[in-house]
Amino acid sequence: MMNDQAQTIEDAAIGEKREQVVLPSGLPVVVFSRPGFKKTFATFATHYGSIDNTFRDAQSGQEITVPDGIAHFLEHKMFEKKGGGDAFDDFARLGASSNAYTDYTSTTFLFQTTAHVLDNLGTLLDFVQEPCFTDENVEKEKGIIEQEIRMYLDMPGDRLHSNLMQALYVNHPVRIDIAGTVESIRTITPQNLYTCYQTFYHPSNMVLFVVGDLDASSVFDYVWENQKHKGYGKQSPISRNFPPEPQTVAEKHREQQMVVSMPLFVMGYKDPETGLSGRDLLRHELIHGLMWQMLCGRSSSLFHHLYRQGLINDRFYARYGASTTFGFSTLGGETPDPAALEAQLLEGLHHAPLRAEDLERAKKREVGEYISLFQNPEELAYAFNHMFFRRIDIFEYVDTVLSINLEDIERARHTHLNETRRASSVIRPADEGYARKESDG
Amino acid sequence: MSVTAKDKGFVGRTQEGTGWYCFTTPRFKTITLHAFIVNELSVEQTVFGAILPHVLQQGTQKWPTFMQMEQTLEELYGASFRAEVGKLADKQLISIHLEIVNGRYLPGKPDTLSLGLEFLQEVIDHPHVQDGAFPEDVVKQEKDLLQRQILGLINDKGQYAVTRLIEAMADGRRFGLRKLGRVEDLDKITPHTLYDYYQKVHSTHPIILFAVGEIDPRSIEKFMQRYRTGQPRKEPENIEPYTPHFHDRLLTERQDIRQGKLNLGYHTGITLKDVRYPALMMYAGILGGFPHSKLFVNVRERASLAYYAYARLDAVLGYMIVGAGIEFEDFEPARDIIRQQVDAMQRGDISEQEWEFTLRAFDNDILSEEDNPSQLIARHLEHVLVGGGLFGEPLQRALHEVTPEQVKEVARNVSLDTVFFLTRKEDKRELEGDVK
Repeated sequence: MMNDQAQTIEDAAIGEKREQVVLPSGLPVVVFSRPGFKKTFATFATHYGSIDNTFRDAQSGQEITVPDGIAHFLEHKMFEKKGGGDAFDDFARLGASSNAYTDYTSTTFLFQTTAHVLDNLGTLLDFVQEPCFTDENVEKEKGIIEQEIRMYLDMPGDRLHSNLMQALYVNHPVRIDIAGTVESIRTITPQNLYTCYQTFYHPSNMVLFVVGDLDASSVFDYVWENQKHKGYGKQSPISRNFPPEPQTVAEKHREQQMVVSMPLFVMGYKDPETGLSGRDLLRHELIHGLMWQMLCGRSSSLFHHLYRQGLINDRFYARYGASTTFGFSTLGGETPDPAALEAQLLEGLHHAPLRAEDLERAKKREVGEYISLFQNPEELAYAFNHMFFRRIDIFEYVDTVLSINLEDIERARHTHLNETRRASSVIRPADEGYARKESDG
Repeated sequence: MSVTAKDKGFVGRTQEGTGWYCFTTPRFKTITLHAFIVNELSVEQTVFGAILPHVLQQGTQKWPTFMQMEQTLEELYGASFRAEVGKLADKQLISIHLEIVNGRYLPGKPDTLSLGLEFLQEVIDHPHVQDGAFPEDVVKQEKDLLQRQILGLINDKGQYAVTRLIEAMADGRRFGLRKLGRVEDLDKITPHTLYDYYQKVHSTHPIILFAVGEIDPRSIEKFMQRYRTGQPRKEPENIEPYTPHFHDRLLTERQDIRQGKLNLGYHTGITLKDVRYPALMMYAGILGGFPHSKLFVNVRERASLAYYAYARLDAVLGYMIVGAGIEFEDFEPARDIIRQQVDAMQRGDISEQEWEFTLRAFDNDILSEEDNPSQLIARHLEHVLVGGGLFGEPLQRALHEVTPEQVKEVARNVSLDTVFFLTRKEDKRELEGDVK
């Protein structure tokens, strides 16, 4: 029934296509066919992440603020089923493995399988669309998530980034850890989980993505059969509120001590140009990504110079990422001397020549990485969903890369590398090492 | 070009220490080339093997600097290239990995297989050398970085705890050596000693190339012939399965951390080549391989003691590691629950659901592996080095033939070697079994 409305969309440049349909509830269903692949990978994702903590409650009409970490908590709790049992078992019964993750702007539920593709799709849709939160099961989850948060607290790279975000941002909720804190999750109740669920898990705020060796029309038929009796009507647009973010940073610098062998350094630039979406946002993001590749990517003279001085190792990174409400760059890695690395980066980034031949190579690399995406179902799903929620058509990627010129990069450097919007974060080795006790029993 | 529509798995062989294996399939848009040079782990030599791939990555005759190499890779449409060191049981693996987009998907359809093989050959055969030695500045810089990398193990608490446990179980045997070597041996590395080492390794150690993608196996076979001139290379030495030196020993270590890491090491007595291996896989899968497994259900879902709890096999050496990240105070309850689950396995206390779910999960894992070039290669390498064992469809069939009685039999031979608990500095308790 849905097949007459299905569209086939092509990326002629690299010989890829996808098929998609939008159900009456507003749910888009997208299929990438990969002949010869053994496994099918599917995601059911909602445009709802850790930053969406202040919004208008559809039922009361009031604007509310919910506890930090609730989107991630909700992700965990979706696996719980009415009458006990969990969705992991339903997938296991059908030979699939399942998982989920939450980031700043989205929550994604997924499975991968080599058998019973359609039944697994049904399981995915059903468990995400049948919430069951009770006082008891919510309390029980707090112990598990507390251990997850404590695990992150011992990860130096995670702390480094978290501290940077708190330094960079004054108000925007991107400064809050995705999982929240041990204290904030203790305040979560079934009632506020339901409020978030009802606001953000409507099909029109979600996308179903499937990749594998499969026939798109059978997927569309099956999904429609699953959805048509669930009674989803149209939902009015979600009203999310983000506080205004000043042009300055909250703090210039943050430091923390941990048990690490060597300092970790990262610095970030907060992007003043937010509010973009669609192809404009894709282009903006690509310009900044190419800029970092040219200025301090592995093939640049600055990288070479820093490496030769022992200030960085080959895990040094410089990247940019943006949603529709925030954007930032991060540059960093392990270094014996954070101050020297910072000083040399600042000197080098502002003065390094931007050359046409470097841009051409960086663009080639970008195209090659894009093509490689299509053989990696997990990465393709992530890239597709992340673009979809920002109203970017993934198939505009190559064209957009090719449209970028040296002036775009120069302009981005001039605007983006601004001292007032820069902050840094350092993790230093704790003074005390560690004690070891061994004994034979 | 002889590309068949159906996958036939890897073709190829190893002769006199030189091996090539090619998996031809149209499924992938990239070509993956992965070369391994095999070293036996040894206390003094390991740092040499650990630093060599990093030095090779720093420059070749044609592209003498790292920057020129990286620019070449960008020209190859962002080919991903890694030279690093790996470990499998008592072997150290110098690993050179290149993944490149298949030219048929690129403008102008360049022959990226040839370009990739040329790049690989340049790295392996023609490093940047000055006056019969590696460049002094490069060696010095990579020694510094390797030293930091060795010391950096402490940064990843989970990895650190498992490494310490395996070291303790090895009790001086080679499989417990760290792949990066020891800081105190770094002094032995000089531009000349390293170059001598390179020459020895390059001409006498086993070298194996794996290739996956839409490629003609003959081109891989032909490429590898260059490594068969001169004296035959060494064959990789047989790997001795691990046997326990301890029984139920507790080790603790204290750090300034926020979460305790509990790891238990068990002897299983069964390795990849053993006919009982599929039964051992079922055992470990039911115990702790999946979210439906006993450990996840009991430690996490029922007791809420952990975010993760798993059991994982080393198929080559025949040990099993159980791990969980827990609250410091929960050491005893978590360890007790883990022991109860291991005991339940010995009693053959396995539900039909646990059995069926595990079987299906393995079906899914084994088939899915075929969609990932790197996993395909890693699995095949294990089998080449061990010299046998089942994988792919035959392994799947064997798993389906395992009986609960066989799993119970396997479980009876599983014994606890060592418990390693990484706890916080303030933990002053005398842990039970912690002998002074």
